Amino acid sequence: MSLILKNVSKTFVGKLVVDNISFNIEKPGVFGLLGTNGAGKTTTIRMLLGIIKKDNGEITWKGKAVDRKNVNFGYLPEERGVYPKIKILDQLLYFAELKGMNKNDAMESINKWAKKLKVEEYLQMPAEKLSKGNQQKIQFMTAIIHNPELVVLDEPFSGLDPVNTEILKNIIIDLVENGKYVIMSAHQMATIEEFCSDILILNKGETVLQGNLKQIKETYPANRVEIDVKQNIDNYIKEFDLKIENVTNNNYNIKISEEEKAHQLLNKLISTGIKVDKFEIKKPTLNDIFIEKVGE
Amino acid sequence: MKDIITVMKFTIKDMIKRKSFIISTLIILVLIVIGFNIPNMIKSFKGENTGDKFLIVDNDNVFEGNLELLKQANLGYDVEIEKADFDEIKQKIENEEIAEAIMIEKKENNIKIRYIVENTNMMTEVPENIVYSINSLYSNIQISKLGLTEEQLQTIAPNLEFSLEQTNEEEVNGNIFVIMLMSIVLFYAIYFCAYQVSSSITTEKTSKIMETLVTSTSPKTIVLGKTLGIGIVGLLQMILIVGTALISAKAFLEAELLDTVLDMSNITVYLGIITIIYFILGYFTYALLYALTGSTVSKPEDIQSANGPVAILAIVGFYLSYFTMMNPTSELNIFASLFPISSPFCMPFRIMMGLASGKDVVISIMILIVTILVIAKVAIKIYSNAILNYGKKISFKDIIKMYRDK
Repeated sequence: MSLILKNVSKTFVGKLVVDNISFNIEKPGVFGLLGTNGAGKTTTIRMLLGIIKKDNGEITWKGKAVDRKNVNFGYLPEERGVYPKIKILDQLLYFAELKGMNKNDAMESINKWAKKLKVEEYLQMPAEKLSKGNQQKIQFMTAIIHNPELVVLDEPFSGLDPVNTEILKNIIIDLVENGKYVIMSAHQMATIEEFCSDILILNKGETVLQGNLKQIKETYPANRVEIDVKQNIDNYIKEFDLKIENVTNNNYNIKISEEEKAHQLLNKLISTGIKVDKFEIKKPTLNDIFIEKVGE
Repeated sequence: MKDIITVMKFTIKDMIKRKSFIISTLIILVLIVIGFNIPNMIKSFKGENTGDKFLIVDNDNVFEGNLELLKQANLGYDVEIEKADFDEIKQKIENEEIAEAIMIEKKENNIKIRYIVENTNMMTEVPENIVYSINSLYSNIQISKLGLTEEQLQTIAPNLEFSLEQTNEEEVNGNIFVIMLMSIVLFYAIYFCAYQVSSSITTEKTSKIMETLVTSTSPKTIVLGKTLGIGIVGLLQMILIVGTALISAKAFLEAELLDTVLDMSNITVYLGIITIIYFILGYFTYALLYALTGSTVSKPEDIQSANGPVAILAIVGFYLSYFTMMNPTSELNIFASLFPISSPFCMPFRIMMGLASGKDVVISIMILIVTILVIAKVAIKIYSNAILNYGKKISFKDIIKMYRDK
């Protein structure tokens, strides 16, 4: 067991923001921490980073209680921030020094990550001259510059273009391959599905769902079918009393309550001579599960 | 400790590299040098000998040729005696050949003395020394005509000697107005320096860098490192400014003029060290209060209202010191020199005036240090809780709750 949170709660200025949550991260990988705005994700992250004190419970990293002094985690906050007037290199050196690195090691690490993130040309510029995406990459560098064992990434891809998103994704995959623990919080459920083996969903400070993502999804029955045909099949769908979720160029996404009805629809289409290019019965996505769990 | 030095070094580097800081410091220094050169500049502009000429016109010979005696009366003017009419005098004033003139005219039984200047905006009456000099010159001329004996003369014009004395045994050294002016300088130095701490913290909050910073080091380290860094830059800036002022005063002001405003013998190494100590302690008192208020806002437009209470405290402290300094031997001034919000603006000048004993200074410094420790404890605690709050401005009630929170 590496990171353990056990019965952790936090009240902030009279309001209970995290209510008795527990989870473990046992091996290197990406752990998804999900929740709506104000669900208590950031407070949970701040507690496990040792920035704020918990009211109750236990947080341990490799058997030792987490305290700001004895952990050196990396953190990319949701609130993006850099010193606007200060040269990028000076900012990076400052944070590296605060994280206990000497100048030579810091320079080596800065050069390595600047190359990977393709920001070498910006190191001598003040941050205000950089685009938002590049500022974000610089902030990502401050999170990992000191080679931490655990990195918390809060919305790492928001605001990045597809090219930069790909660069960052590859770096996260690299981190995991190198035995790092990553906790990721994101609102794009597709991203979480792509990276995370385990997840926890918070709602109003309480855990509403947690566990292995694959196992969670298996407990849910199929809830939609995708059919790709060359003609309009609205009438047949109505005949079986099914509801179209969306349709584009005769590619139908249809809600189903039981798989049997989807098969009956397929048989009907084939028997009437309609050519079916694609027929796929689908399990609910993480997005569906999330909305079901936290939607009002 | 290592992190405090890292934060301090980063803060110093950030401050002294800022264009606004470099330019404003240079402007202040240039203004000081120019300011002390103004008397010289006026002199060279007007020419060394043209001075302020003062013309006396006695067309009716009322003073019977005795006006030459006024030249020796040290009226502060270069006195000239000529015959001229009003239009000629007007012309001379307009041409700046003379600064002022006196026209003596005999009208029936009266003697009319017209004091003529370019404009009377700043004057309400004829300067007293001129009235006195002319009066006594005229009296002396008339008395001498009476053929009185030496004794009779002395009874008519006794040599009355006036002096100003005080009953209080404590003697006050130095020009009180200059000391008050220096108190204002010290107040502004402390106040603006401390204010920087607040704006620096709010900038870190508004630029959202705080979250990254606070994961890299503790809030206590940030507050102390930042306060130290800004304080060192402020202290060096103040030493540079005061040093430039003192050097400029010595180099450019005439010794006589300098002596009338400031007794340089009062400026001792002891006073310098004490002033620096009070600057540092005063700065810490207000800087930590500003760290507290600065951490409670997350939008730049809220800084003013959040800092209001500290500004009021500073102004109360300053005026308590400033107004009681007019009566430096009063008990209220002694109180101001011990009370922590006013002592930094008061005690250095009580020392300069020779009114504070070593014991007073030690007590005052101890009170300030205890106050700073208490403020530091509260400020760091609230800062730690408030810096990550990005919502609306935190109310006083919330601040108290935060302090009570674990």
